[in-house]
Amino acid sequence: MADYLSCTERETKEMLERIGVKSLDDLFEDIPADLKLKKLNLPAGKSQQETMEYMTELSKKNKVFDIILRGAGSYDHYIPSMVKNLSSRSEFITAYTPYQAEMSQGILQAIFEYQSMICDLTGLDVSNASVYNGANAAAEAMLMCLERNRKTLVTFDNIRPDTLKVLKTYASRRGITVKVLSCKDGVADLALLKKELCETTAGVYIEQPNYFGLIEDAEEIGKLAHEAQAKFVMGCNPIALGLLKSPAECGADIAVGDAQPLGLPMAFGGPYVGFMACTSKEMRKLPGRIVGETTDHDGNRAYVLTLQAREQHIRREKAFSNICSNQAYCALVASMYLSAMGPVGLKEVAEACTDYAHYFAGLLEKEGLGRKHKGEFFHEFVTESEIPADKILRALEREGILGGLKLNAHEILWCTTETLKKEDLDRAAEIIRRVK
Amino acid sequence: MKLIFEISEEGKRCATIRKPQIKSAKLNEKYLRKTELDLPEVSEVDFSRHYTALSRRAFGVDNGFYPLGSCTMKYNPKINEEVAGLEGFTRIHPLQSEKTVQGCMEVMHTLSSYLAEITGMDAVTLQPNAGAHGEYTGLCLIAAYHAARKDFKRTKVIVPDSAHGTNPASAVMAGFEIINVPSDEEKGVDLEALKKVVGDDTAALMLTNPTTLGLFEKNIKEISKIIHKAGGLLYYDGANLNAVMGVVRPGDMGFDVVHLNLHKTFSTPHGGGGPGSGPVGCKKELAAFLPDPRVEKTDKGYKFVESKQSIGKVASFYGNFGVYVRALAYIVALGAEGIKAAAQHAVLNANYLKVNIEDLYPTEKGRHCMHEFVVSMQELKDKTGVSAMEIAKTMIDRGYHPPTMYFPLIIHEALMFEPTETETKQTLDEVIKALREIYEEAFKDPEYMKSAPHHAQIGRPDEVKAARTPVVRYQK
Repeated sequence: MADYLSCTERETKEMLERIGVKSLDDLFEDIPADLKLKKLNLPAGKSQQETMEYMTELSKKNKVFDIILRGAGSYDHYIPSMVKNLSSRSEFITAYTPYQAEMSQGILQAIFEYQSMICDLTGLDVSNASVYNGANAAAEAMLMCLERNRKTLVTFDNIRPDTLKVLKTYASRRGITVKVLSCKDGVADLALLKKELCETTAGVYIEQPNYFGLIEDAEEIGKLAHEAQAKFVMGCNPIALGLLKSPAECGADIAVGDAQPLGLPMAFGGPYVGFMACTSKEMRKLPGRIVGETTDHDGNRAYVLTLQAREQHIRREKAFSNICSNQAYCALVASMYLSAMGPVGLKEVAEACTDYAHYFAGLLEKEGLGRKHKGEFFHEFVTESEIPADKILRALEREGILGGLKLNAHEILWCTTETLKKEDLDRAAEIIRRVK
Repeated sequence: MKLIFEISEEGKRCATIRKPQIKSAKLNEKYLRKTELDLPEVSEVDFSRHYTALSRRAFGVDNGFYPLGSCTMKYNPKINEEVAGLEGFTRIHPLQSEKTVQGCMEVMHTLSSYLAEITGMDAVTLQPNAGAHGEYTGLCLIAAYHAARKDFKRTKVIVPDSAHGTNPASAVMAGFEIINVPSDEEKGVDLEALKKVVGDDTAALMLTNPTTLGLFEKNIKEISKIIHKAGGLLYYDGANLNAVMGVVRPGDMGFDVVHLNLHKTFSTPHGGGGPGSGPVGCKKELAAFLPDPRVEKTDKGYKFVESKQSIGKVASFYGNFGVYVRALAYIVALGAEGIKAAAQHAVLNANYLKVNIEDLYPTEKGRHCMHEFVVSMQELKDKTGVSAMEIAKTMIDRGYHPPTMYFPLIIHEALMFEPTETETKQTLDEVIKALREIYEEAFKDPEYMKSAPHHAQIGRPDEVKAARTPVVRYQK
């Protein structure tokens, strides 16, 4: 059995003597005797070797696919070696939140660099140090939009289902209405949006690209939101930001998203990392940790957690958010990814994703899986066909290919990334051809 | 040191990818970015040196003693990192079919059942991503429970004045009003004050036990009676579970809902601020309200199930899965005895540290502490002018991470020490010696201490300037 204790029996005895008690149990005398547990009903401990074997066996009960054509909020991208290697340094892994600036400059500077890169990607002025994931970032952004008489968030039924669910959970306890409008041919229906916006609208939330992979006319949506004096919130795929107009260029007040595509493995859904950026006007409403630059008493550059008057440990029930722990380590990985790729690399990744998606959409069309929507798309798209989706996906799965996500009996949401090769896509199309 | 932007040179490349051997797609110009990206452009050697340098300016449990109270900075076993990195866990898409992810689902189901056993709860969700997120989730369960009983008056959550700041903040996010209740002379909940504030509008009382003072709330049975008699529920903030796991269970103390911090009690690393994980357990009366989806074990393997009464989702997919893998490896390695031994030794280490410094660092007298203890430096400050913060900064000069400062708010000049069970006696003895010397120094050279640290990465930073004129991003 492992115990990770560092104390021998002799030392334990010495320590107990010094404290002035006879046994470890004596230290727990404040606990009412009738409440004490006899024994936990858990298996006996395992040696390190057995633990390794047990966990490895569990991991083998999952199927790892060689080729992945599924996205829908979790993306299989190439993770550079230097990101994996440098991020595994235990100083990063085993540190706490950098409360003590004098011994945490490395963590603080890393967060500052992360914030700077998120600002660069989004074009906005301020970023926080991260929140839990993309869905929670959207929920926190919704709370930022609230005003005394504006308690409705308007969005469309083409955002990620998980995001919508989380928005609804957070809205329900705060008297917020989430108004979900129907999209038109997969994208936001501007006429409908215009009709819906009014003096009680707090914000408009859209995703770019949206759940179906389509590119929204974000600038127009932003204009409509602002005409109604509502805030405009964009949920973005950070890889797509290498290519597409930035939220700032589209007039967004707040940009959010999940930075998982930036160097984090799919890992069955987490840990991922929610990014949040906003204009300087909204800065004091931005939740979570923020690192700022300052100087020490000798005038040297220094980094500290700043603007803490917004936060729960100072304001308690008056805080804008309850967030304390975030996803700092994942944010570090994301910033390493962006440094490793650089502006050119990020654009190349984004272009490769789009190129493969368009190539693959062409192949699928030839096999009778036409695109459902007309609009332009980034690296995801929906097909519809007579052949049942299950049949197609099963055939691919048998060949070690994780096909797209089944949306309904005849529709599939596909995704391609730079991890694929032309041959992979040709092979997938070939398998589908034989399904008929 | 320089920012990575400051070592950037146009044209440098680090990681590279394969060029697609296909025709490139042309998107409509109007959708394309007009402003150039300003991301760093570095070579691989620049990259490696930069992040190595940053890591050398970080301080983790692997660097040294880290007695940050309430944060349970125990050692993070290396095997947990290795198993979490297995391809069979990392390269799994969250939306694969159930039959291809039975291993992940078994991890979630097994961990949930172990946590239910450790807390004495009937059901557990792993979905919340951090402790505060768990609090929020637990409070949403409580709201749903009262609403399902058509008991709509219950709009208030009672929070002791010694509570973590997240407690009231989470309750407000979950739509409740806050009632603060003071502590009594023994630093527990003041029962008389509690009786006065409970009523038919009480939704719940949030409590940490041991409390944030590191003391076991002796009146827990009485508190439970008062709250339940009024029709409220008892919420357990699991931040301090490390003191009592395997010894006493929240469920047996009368708690109805609990959140845990896998990144504290179950040894998953903090990563400089996260990811954490804040599973929530509850009694069976509340189980139907847990977030969707939950993993169920059937004859045909593991299945995801949803409940009509669920509060919905609180995070995307299933939460911080990679953290579950680490926590499961930890519990499996420890087993029933190891879990209890961890709590016992956490308490042993805290008491050993306390007994060896309490003549100089005064704390609650006449009782054993649990896994942590809070000292007040008020008297030292009155005598020498040296504050709790300056003690903390002097510890930095000696290579130790300081304890939590100025919390809980009810103790003046507070320092909260939590050594955890993984520290050796040798380390504790060195720390004791250092703390005693620091105390003496406060009398000998208070001025020197007031400008500490002197040997750290930086001197005392100007926090006022940082807040007044915020510079929160690099700009050329």
